[in-house]
Amino acid sequence: MRAFLAHRLAPLGALVTGLVLLLVGVGPALSPYDPTHMDVLALLTPPDWQHPFGTDALGRDVLTRVLAGARLSLTVSATGVALAALAGTLAGLVAAERRGLLAALLLRLSDLLFSFPSFVLALFLVVVFGFGTGTLILAIALVYAPIFVRLSRNLAASARGQTYVVAARVIGQSSRSILLREILPNIAGPLLVQATLGLAFGIVIEAGLSFIGLGVQPPQPSLGTIMAEGREVFGQAPWVLTLTGLFIALTLLGLNLLGDGLRELADPKLRGRS
Amino acid sequence: MTAAFLRLSGPTLRHAGGVVLVGLLGALCIFAALRLGPGDPALTALGEGATPASVAAYRARWGLDQPWPVQFAAWLLPALHGDFGTSIAVASGIPVSRLIAERLPVTAFVGAYALVLATATALVAGAVAARWRGRWPDSLATTLAVLGVAMPDFWVAYLLIGSLAFGLGLFPSFGYVPPSVSLTGALSSATLPALAIAAPMAASFTRILRAALLEESLSEHVRVARALGHPGGFVFLHHVLRNALIPFVTVVGLQVRYLLGGTVVIERIFGLPGLGALMVDAAFARDYPLVQACALVFLIGVLAANLATDGLCALLDPRRS
Repeated sequence: MRAFLAHRLAPLGALVTGLVLLLVGVGPALSPYDPTHMDVLALLTPPDWQHPFGTDALGRDVLTRVLAGARLSLTVSATGVALAALAGTLAGLVAAERRGLLAALLLRLSDLLFSFPSFVLALFLVVVFGFGTGTLILAIALVYAPIFVRLSRNLAASARGQTYVVAARVIGQSSRSILLREILPNIAGPLLVQATLGLAFGIVIEAGLSFIGLGVQPPQPSLGTIMAEGREVFGQAPWVLTLTGLFIALTLLGLNLLGDGLRELADPKLRGRS
Repeated sequence: MTAAFLRLSGPTLRHAGGVVLVGLLGALCIFAALRLGPGDPALTALGEGATPASVAAYRARWGLDQPWPVQFAAWLLPALHGDFGTSIAVASGIPVSRLIAERLPVTAFVGAYALVLATATALVAGAVAARWRGRWPDSLATTLAVLGVAMPDFWVAYLLIGSLAFGLGLFPSFGYVPPSVSLTGALSSATLPALAIAAPMAASFTRILRAALLEESLSEHVRVARALGHPGGFVFLHHVLRNALIPFVTVVGLQVRYLLGGTVVIERIFGLPGLGALMVDAAFARDYPLVQACALVFLIGVLAANLATDGLCALLDPRRS
């Protein structure tokens, strides 16, 4: 904990991330506006004290919409990354423990998923499964799973030679129980760090796909759909798109700083290098 | 150079075998996903109100009634010769290969432009940061890099449009001029898209290069070279930079995947007639042959970039030459 506070960037990242989560958690409830309420007397109002992010073409308060939309975007991203972590780690552990056709096939499949540009894979999934949040979650999970496969496999492979694993083997634990009870808790830290960075990545995928109209469908607010609506009025009201993007950037900044900071703290080799 | 090239061909060739395997597996997965997925290409093409007879006729016409290994072979074998069938929705009846041949150069041009911008920026910023480590140039470069990584490229695109296109009128905000028509026009129309794609990449490249340079400058062989009295510039170029370029090139190669993914959204914003925009149109229209082909071409692009990266790293490795 002391090392965490002494580190320059990790606490800043935790602060920004915490602030964003707090805003997204309680903001929509505290806001005097409703994310879907239209005010015909306040169409495209520039940012002021009443509407810090201004209003959009239908007179809706952009800040309220961004906070409500971020709730959906974060949920989609977190679900996708959780699925990726679960499936990817499982596959990585299997590949580290077993040799043979299954492991080879899992690794090749993971290499394959890793070779598709993220948006290309997502577009492809949209064609197979149609538009919607379910496809978005699947896209994030499939794009990010290979990273967990590689990471967990490498971590588990290097843990195999360690004393605690050898000891567990000597007292006769089965290889499955060694993987799940001994190795997994010991490699959970780096996996969690990766999940933090993955959350940022998932937000970009959601926003990007919804932005081009292939993700969350309007009128439901998500960070991507709000930016897409802002795009229509960018010439007259640049604040809708710009400030929504700024909120995304702030969220990504917090998550990246937290993830990178925790990774540096966990890895003594990286410490003191930044 | 020739000798180095011959020596690296062994492992690279073995690696190429793996790449071909992944490519074939990719073709199989692309094909199987579209066949096993819930959508029916016949119903998509004919509309929900199609009669059973017309659906059956459509299925027979496009070979959809054949067993799927036969369908797979019927798609893949001509595809290996560049024949991906004809588009069914976006440009009905036009060969997919012609559509791709028209669009691919746009994506390649903008992508290469972005890669050059990002790499050049990172080489300068990373070297400056490592040279003045802990001083203000380092703080500036590192802060900008941390901020840059957090900026989604499609947001950067609109910041650029708002400032450089609408504000200063320096570059067009929409449209594309091919280099064959006018090279300056092409560069001008591709500058904002390339900058938007390059900005987050330049940031992550800078961080990698800075870290690699610092790691190399602390290594034994660099200390020995300094102790032998080699001048600082020589040590930097021949011992520090050369070794640091290997992790740098590896990361640049891996980022080709993000670069190509980024073009999908960016091309749409700037109205560039590239492969990414084509695939978005194909996805909206559920043009199965076109989507299949686009996904495969993107996959091959990434795999080729990976192979090129491996080859380049092998050439750069001082232990080989």
